[in-house]
Amino acid sequence: MADTATLGSTSDDYVAPKRFNPWPVVIFICLFTLAILFLAPTFGVLLSSVKTTRDIALGDLWAIPSSMYWGNYIEVLSNPAVHGYMLNTFLVAAPATAFSIGLGTLAGYVFSKLPFKGSDLVFLLVVSGMFFPPQVILIPLFRLFNLMGLIDTLWPMIIVHTALGIPICTLLMRNFFATVPNPLREAAILEGASEWQVLTKIALPISLPAIAVLATLQFTWIWNDFLWPLIFTQSDEKRTIMLGLVFMKGQYSVAWGIQGAMSLIASLPTLIVFLFFQRYFIKGMTMGAVKG
Amino acid sequence: MNQSNTFWRVALLALPLSVFALIIIWPLLSSFYYGFTNWNGFSDNYDFVGFENFGKLFSDRLFMSAAINTIIWMAIAVVLPTVLGLSLALLIDSHVPGGPIFKTIFYLPICLSAVVVGQVWVWIYQPDWGLLNTIIEYVTNDRFNYAWLAKPDSALYSVIVAWSWQATGLSMVIYLAGLTAIPGDLLEVCELEGATTWQRIRHVILPLLTPATVVVVALSVINSLKGFDILYIMTGGGPFNSSDMLAMHMYNESFKKYLMGYGSAISVVLFLVALTIIRLCFKQLKKVDEIYG
Repeated sequence: MADTATLGSTSDDYVAPKRFNPWPVVIFICLFTLAILFLAPTFGVLLSSVKTTRDIALGDLWAIPSSMYWGNYIEVLSNPAVHGYMLNTFLVAAPATAFSIGLGTLAGYVFSKLPFKGSDLVFLLVVSGMFFPPQVILIPLFRLFNLMGLIDTLWPMIIVHTALGIPICTLLMRNFFATVPNPLREAAILEGASEWQVLTKIALPISLPAIAVLATLQFTWIWNDFLWPLIFTQSDEKRTIMLGLVFMKGQYSVAWGIQGAMSLIASLPTLIVFLFFQRYFIKGMTMGAVKG
Repeated sequence: MNQSNTFWRVALLALPLSVFALIIIWPLLSSFYYGFTNWNGFSDNYDFVGFENFGKLFSDRLFMSAAINTIIWMAIAVVLPTVLGLSLALLIDSHVPGGPIFKTIFYLPICLSAVVVGQVWVWIYQPDWGLLNTIIEYVTNDRFNYAWLAKPDSALYSVIVAWSWQATGLSMVIYLAGLTAIPGDLLEVCELEGATTWQRIRHVILPLLTPATVVVVALSVINSLKGFDILYIMTGGGPFNSSDMLAMHMYNESFKKYLMGYGSAISVVLFLVALTIIRLCFKQLKKVDEIYG
């Protein structure tokens, strides 16, 4: 404290010479150039999606089109298979997001408010589930779902994403519940509230921001997943959008414009989620990563 | 009171822990077991073969090249997104105008799926009109149509660059989060003491960012072990297995050749490597915690 005080007083005596500082300009130009480079790939797809296949074949993929061509989007959006893929993905992502957050809430509440002997160890075990390569559990799960007759349904994806979401949901909910003051819980219990009522009436309403974080993260991850649908689905009717994208690509192997439109339509839900919930998304990404 | 606490512990933990045990722990243990069998994925009859699968790994040329590729991938994936992400974070943190917009731009690729990212970069690497060759042609003023993804020399590296494009955003935000944790008056003191920007970064900011660095490096390494989606889209491990990685090799052996026992053995190796790395990182983080509190 004393140190900063003395330093503070010296700074009063010190008069900085007013000079032009070039650094902000240099930094801005650096960032601007890098931003252009970073945007180029996405921008290229955007461009190709509004061009005819003929225009692209003529070698002008990267040129600005003289007129917008919406045919690629019309072709993709009027394809009933695409509707099926989108619906399937939604039918997997929505329940799996809800279930994993629900289960993470239950576990996170116990680890935060009702710790017991050895609970730290159990918590660590659950959280470590975030790190191992998913390929390790692929074969036994394939066998399990095969025995249950669930291969080529949406159930395996819902179940697996629910389970794989438990580590991060438990971690974030536990950390968030830790900010709910303990006396609040104790007072409620003394007044006759049950643990369940404390969880749903006191802890959960306070934790809505944490739930927003998790919902955006989980939905994005599940929507973008490729590995599990690749293993667990066989027929075209049960494919999710990412899988559909890969298999339709073969069908339109030289129609780059259509592929571009397809990629953008498949990314639209996560792009919308990202743009609207950016704050939560980034928070969740850093929390999930840093705390691990 | 205590008794009711026990009741609620059991009641609230029962569902999450049983789902976790059934879908994660049990399959993990089963994988270890299958790794010692010659199961083909369908038949009910299979034999316990001891360490045969694990011994086979060493004579499997494809496994060895996949392992080497995974190590190459890790090395580059640790350096490229980490250095780029750190530089971007430092630049953005200097309160440059438009900072939030830049942050969004660099972060945006993360919300795209590996499938879309892979596809985008397949176009960039197109020999005839891809962005990369177009730029090279423009700069050198000469005809250039190198097939980046179809040449064994460049396929792996081309995929790594695509992967890094997406991964940089994540390391950037982790570093940005680390930077906000550095007390502002500490940096002010440095400035008053006459430290140059470079000295400040080198002797104050970087050491304080060590926890963030450990996290970024750990994530890069772990994610490179998982690396599958983008590789599947861009090269499928080809040409001639030149870009094959462990996760890809495991998928091929298990679901293309139906050697599930052997595939399980590969996944066990993957798991053990991941476990070792996680433990190393945790140790490092603990050490960092002790030094910097």
